[in-house]
Amino acid sequence: MKDREVSSGLARRHPPVTPGGKGRFGDFDVLGQVSRWDLVTAGVVLARLDTDPQLSFFTAEEEPTVRALTDLLLGQHDEPRVPVVEMLDKRLLAGETDGWRYEDMPEDSDAWRRSLAALDDEARALHGERFSDLPPERQARIVQGVQDADEWHGFSAGHLWSLWTRYACSAFYSHPWTWNEIGFGGPAYPRGYKNMGVDRREGWERPEVDARDPVPWAERREEALRAHEERQDASPSEERDR
Amino acid sequence: MSRLSDADVRARNASAWLLPSGDERTNHRLRADMRRYDESDEVDVVVVGCGAGGGTLMQRLARTGASVVGLDAGPFWDPDADWVSDEAGSHRLYWTEPRVISGSDPVPLGSNNSGRGVGGSMIHYAGYTPRFHPSDFHTFSLDGVGADWPIAYQDLKPYYQAIEQELPVSGQSWPWGDPHDYPYSPQPLGGNGQMFVRGAHALGVTTKVGPVAIANGRFGNRPHCIYRGFCLQGCKVNAKASPLITHIPDALAHGAEIRPNCMVNRVVVDGRRRAIGVTYITGGVEHFQAARLVVVSGYSIETPRLLLLSGSKEFPDGLCNDHGQVGHYLMVQGAPQVAGRFDAEVRMYKAPPPEVSSEEFYETDPTKPYKRGFALQTVSPLPITYSEHVSAQGHWGEALREYMRDYNHWAVTGALCEFLPRYENAVTLAAETDRNGLPVANFSYSMCDNDRALEDAAQHTQEEILKAAGATETIAVKRYAHLVGGCRMAADATQGVVDADQRSFAVPNLYLVDGSVLPTQGSANPALTIMALAARCAERLAASRNQGAPAATRAGGGL
Repeated sequence: MKDREVSSGLARRHPPVTPGGKGRFGDFDVLGQVSRWDLVTAGVVLARLDTDPQLSFFTAEEEPTVRALTDLLLGQHDEPRVPVVEMLDKRLLAGETDGWRYEDMPEDSDAWRRSLAALDDEARALHGERFSDLPPERQARIVQGVQDADEWHGFSAGHLWSLWTRYACSAFYSHPWTWNEIGFGGPAYPRGYKNMGVDRREGWERPEVDARDPVPWAERREEALRAHEERQDASPSEERDR
Repeated sequence: MSRLSDADVRARNASAWLLPSGDERTNHRLRADMRRYDESDEVDVVVVGCGAGGGTLMQRLARTGASVVGLDAGPFWDPDADWVSDEAGSHRLYWTEPRVISGSDPVPLGSNNSGRGVGGSMIHYAGYTPRFHPSDFHTFSLDGVGADWPIAYQDLKPYYQAIEQELPVSGQSWPWGDPHDYPYSPQPLGGNGQMFVRGAHALGVTTKVGPVAIANGRFGNRPHCIYRGFCLQGCKVNAKASPLITHIPDALAHGAEIRPNCMVNRVVVDGRRRAIGVTYITGGVEHFQAARLVVVSGYSIETPRLLLLSGSKEFPDGLCNDHGQVGHYLMVQGAPQVAGRFDAEVRMYKAPPPEVSSEEFYETDPTKPYKRGFALQTVSPLPITYSEHVSAQGHWGEALREYMRDYNHWAVTGALCEFLPRYENAVTLAAETDRNGLPVANFSYSMCDNDRALEDAAQHTQEEILKAAGATETIAVKRYAHLVGGCRMAADATQGVVDADQRSFAVPNLYLVDGSVLPTQGSANPALTIMALAARCAERLAASRNQGAPAATRAGGGL
């Protein structure tokens, strides 16, 4: 039991960590429950707090590109960041796929390398710079272009988008800091739940600090982005917005 | 079926009493003392795959005194040491060897539908165990679509009842299909289940709690559910049923052997078209297990793949593939899910995802432009799975984050739509090979117009229900669930791979006992039906054994 308390103490920080310091649940810290988790689960989850930035799968050339891409896909623009690239690196090195690939796609590891190279190719062709050196707005336009395309640099764009978002989201939303952000209770064995049902909470669960629906905000932001893009599309040449 | 006393169930399947009652979830002594056959022993039966079909069959056959060896490509799971209460950490439960998906509507495999290890896909299924409706067994005669089974609902009914007692299943009295009761009373509801019931009842749609293979109470030495919500990640509690705890322990106690981490690469057939055993790879080395009867229970992708890999001079196009049926008529259910936003906190991660169902829309409605129907169920995705739902709306970056920060306010329902069997939806061998050098499966899938109409109707109905419950916004995602077919049972060899007893038409002592034999899929989760078919098959095999003739001298395929 003593060991568990030590690990719990190491994992917790005050105030609780959320990605980019963006929270909605005040002092809710899922890591405060570590002593109530079974040891096998605790080991697997706490290992994700490892932030050793030593990469093995991604090359030094690929690293800035994959960091920029995953930051964009996950809206991670501020520290502390969930170490998504480190998590993807481990996963791709181990060849841990989802157990299938689309017939028109290369194997996952290959698809990652080739698509990162394609992002740099596109950035250089459009703006004469590497993808990671572009300002975030230009990076975002390129990424939005992939989502909107049918075919992109020889990829079925939808299948590439699926690969990127599956890997990025499954890493990001497996991290306890993210659970703090969304108010998810995390591992629940052997503790379980006692208070189920609408508007019912366990003693250790927390209400939102601000209960307003954040999604209308997200929609406004998307509308603004679209308007911004339309203005850009209306500009006669790429030179103007350099 | 009314509830039998526990003693009656225990007398025919003691699995729940063979598990430990203390802090451990696995009876390590039972496994250590397991009977072990020598490879040179010709056993009565070798079973390839220890999931819903293979696990159930082994338990039944071991009880008749047959010598049985079960081979599984994956581990012999120990819930304490091997499983975690965590989404991403449960990756190892799925079949993650390479596979290729193709067609106009390719079907993702892995976590959605493909298990690995003893217990099979039932380790990570939600736990819903509905019966098929009587109409499911003759959709072609009734509605002019799909296929007629060579058996009827009544042939399976006693086995449905038996398996429901052994899992056991909890739920309210069931008004649909062949009305019936469940042995255990329904589970209490979490926020997601409450929202679904609220919306459905506001529209006059009947719902019922269950049917879920989680006892409401203790069952043998299996503890009560703790409502932790990780049913799809393997039940560390031993509350949710899977063959690992419902049938394998009793099989071991009756002399069956489980050989885990053994990838079968060939069913070996002699020059007289009789199976003589299987070869399998373990530790990088190929072995051979001789058997008088071979049962393949590898499910809808691996069973056809194994038959196609087992081609020979007698079977140039793959074993049992004389009529081009192996791998075909593979089905998935359309499974659109709809999330609804509520001002109240739902916190759907609390309570098992399988809570409430409605089969109001299951049967063909003559006023609709499509045939057959769909079932509705609660699903309650955990954060990673829910992020896929949000991501499917096209949201990324900040918008994705904001939707996800609102996770606790969303309820999610799912549908199971009866997509129709089509010949061109099939498993073939790809050029790519796995680490053993075996060609991997290529699963091609394309929907038809009836499928699309059903999928749209099921999505629309869910949106209406969530809005009636008070949802201020709904977001939908189109996806698939389950696998069945690929080696279907049929009245004759030109229409399918196995007969009404699940014996292959081509090789008299080769049986297929898994979801691959289903000719149609209904709108029901398939696990209970696969188990019921396995129990029926085992009883018919045992009956033929009791006829007395030594198996090797009979023309037929009995034990």
